[in-house]
Amino acid sequence: MMTRSKSMYGYYLVWPALLIYTVFFVMPAIIGLYYSFTDWRLDRIGIKFIGIDNFNKIFTDDTLLLAMKNTFIFALATVVGKNVIGLVLAIALNMRLKSRNFLRAIFYSPSILSVLVISIVFTPILRTEGMVNKFFDAIGLHFLSQAWLTDPHLVIWTVALVAIWQQAGFQMAIYLAGLQSISKEYYEAATIDGAGAWRSFTNITVPLLLPAININLMLTLIGGLKVFSEVFVLTSGGPGNSSQVVGTIILRAFGEGNWGLGTAINTLLFLIVSLIAIPLLVFMRRKEVTE
Amino acid sequence: MKQTARKLSLGAVSAVLAVSLAACGSNSSNSESGSTGGGKKVTIELALSKSSQDSAFVQQDLLDEFEKETNIKVNLQLLPAEQTSTVLQTKLAVNETPDILQYNLASATTDLNLERNFEILDDQPWVSRLLNKDVLSAYGHVYSFHVSQDTGMQGVVYNKDIFKELGLEVPKTYDEFLAACEKIKAAGYTPIFMPFKDNWAANVMPGASFGEYAAKSEPTLFDDLNANKKKWTDIQAFQTILDQQYDLYKKGYTNTDVLSDSYDMAAGKFLNKEVAMMFMGDWLIESVQQQDANMNLGLFAYPTDNSGDAYLGASPLGGQLFIPKKAKHIEEAKKFLDFIATKEVAQKIVNNQSYVSNFSDVTTPELPAYKQEILDNYITPKKVAMTMDAYMLVDRSELYRSLQDEFTGSKTSQQVLQTWNDKFAELMKDKGEAGF
Repeated sequence: MMTRSKSMYGYYLVWPALLIYTVFFVMPAIIGLYYSFTDWRLDRIGIKFIGIDNFNKIFTDDTLLLAMKNTFIFALATVVGKNVIGLVLAIALNMRLKSRNFLRAIFYSPSILSVLVISIVFTPILRTEGMVNKFFDAIGLHFLSQAWLTDPHLVIWTVALVAIWQQAGFQMAIYLAGLQSISKEYYEAATIDGAGAWRSFTNITVPLLLPAININLMLTLIGGLKVFSEVFVLTSGGPGNSSQVVGTIILRAFGEGNWGLGTAINTLLFLIVSLIAIPLLVFMRRKEVTE
Repeated sequence: MKQTARKLSLGAVSAVLAVSLAACGSNSSNSESGSTGGGKKVTIELALSKSSQDSAFVQQDLLDEFEKETNIKVNLQLLPAEQTSTVLQTKLAVNETPDILQYNLASATTDLNLERNFEILDDQPWVSRLLNKDVLSAYGHVYSFHVSQDTGMQGVVYNKDIFKELGLEVPKTYDEFLAACEKIKAAGYTPIFMPFKDNWAANVMPGASFGEYAAKSEPTLFDDLNANKKKWTDIQAFQTILDQQYDLYKKGYTNTDVLSDSYDMAAGKFLNKEVAMMFMGDWLIESVQQQDANMNLGLFAYPTDNSGDAYLGASPLGGQLFIPKKAKHIEEAKKFLDFIATKEVAQKIVNNQSYVSNFSDVTTPELPAYKQEILDNYITPKKVAMTMDAYMLVDRSELYRSLQDEFTGSKTSQQVLQTWNDKFAELMKDKGEAGF
């Protein structure tokens, strides 16, 4: 029979943390949910319950729909980009290279920079007359020169590319930790059995790396859907509204004094993130194997 | 035993929380008692945008003098420039207001809900000495304070030396303006700098020109728009003005990367003599000349047509001081305004800043050359019209964003106005304005 005396600390020690969490996270979230059904505004004293009017507005406003589309594009592009590049880097830097520690530090370093610094660095580089286009022109690939941050159809992809550049090194670090926890004996046994590099990768590396893949997918997906700062500092959602994402639209709604609508968009974002992330998490967990 | 321990820990947590909550509450009640206690030092909070930190009202020597005289200390709350309105909106919404805040009157009516949140100052002693009450008033009451009546003027900021070098006169008509652009371009300068990465900058020329059109041709236009009696798409002149701005870009008279260049680059462009003109306010001249006093810049009115009778746009006066209704130290805040309004202090500020005085007993000092020209060529002959922004009751960001769309090629001028017309109606309806 399990007895309580076996646990070193009582459950009551969780109370302070739970209380703080409830006061500062759970309650504001519940209150926010309520406000998303009201006409809460900067310039109105009373707050009126208006049912799902705010949500109706979200689904009939072209800019809000565009922001949703951009958010999904950004999330998808960064999930794929950060994970593929992060994994390739991790595998490469898990090999016996002389300079691997130095290279690991180099590839990881962008992720410790502030997004604001990234914006200051990339805005001039990505100008129409910036370094990227000058480089393409110089090597004769003029057709690759683009209005990276001012072409309405391209801008969200450019922001995603910058985010991938910055964060892939962070994903690499998690993959590296995962790779180093896989025992070399598996690979030795596989080599004796005649398995090639690809077989070893798909049959040993991938299954045993699943916990790391799982964490990385979750982090990049949730981060991608919640994107705000990269877009805000690089384009402020512009030109026009062409790179608006849900995060920047929330700020826009608050700026227009429409706090109820802003809260409703926030609630919707929370629902979308939960509905995508939780089933994915459950699915991926089931696939995990232990050594 | 365990039960007791659990109860004890719960009790302890509750006690800690109660104490911390009480501490939050007592903070304000202490300062309340401080304000009423005779002779006790009181600290009042003055909130302003970080971009306004050079404001004449918050210079340390002035604040020190005030503290010495009244035993009231003024504590400054500098707010990040891009978040000033959001932070103030939040502070006002939760009744955590500063005692005084510095803001623009016109923006305060749309962003901060003037009537609900701010004290009416009609009965203050300095009001009777005001020369121009309008620049401090809204809804028929004085809501704000300033020693100046010098509103910012908007038009075309130009480099006089480049004009002189190329033998150019100030263009009086639209055709002359285009000819000047052509000549400047041929000489290797960028005729007009458009820093439209900052979308508000795309509205400077249209905002002034819309206001000019209304003043000359349809004086009730903005009232009609605000009452939904007219639509933005009904006014052909608006479309023409937006087309003109875009044409200047298409004709190659501007910087090539208009959507990548930002306003903070403007002073440098003038200082390096790269550009000859820019649609902007006279505040740009001041900031360029602060960096190089030899820069010879001026301001002329943008001619939208060939009538030869162009007006400058007058922006509403900015940088006024307001006292929130929920301020904890209203009396002390009013004392601060009284102090600045005294003849000696006001005269000192007006002299230092070269302001046009708004007090009958404070004299206006000699103005800088560009200001004197504006006064002689535009203000005195009444060739000035309020800009569109002075009439707007809702946030204009969506219009500014649509103006950017025109420059990406994704919207025509007509679509810009259509988009803004729809958004304007939505915002006015949400605001509860009659007619929408």
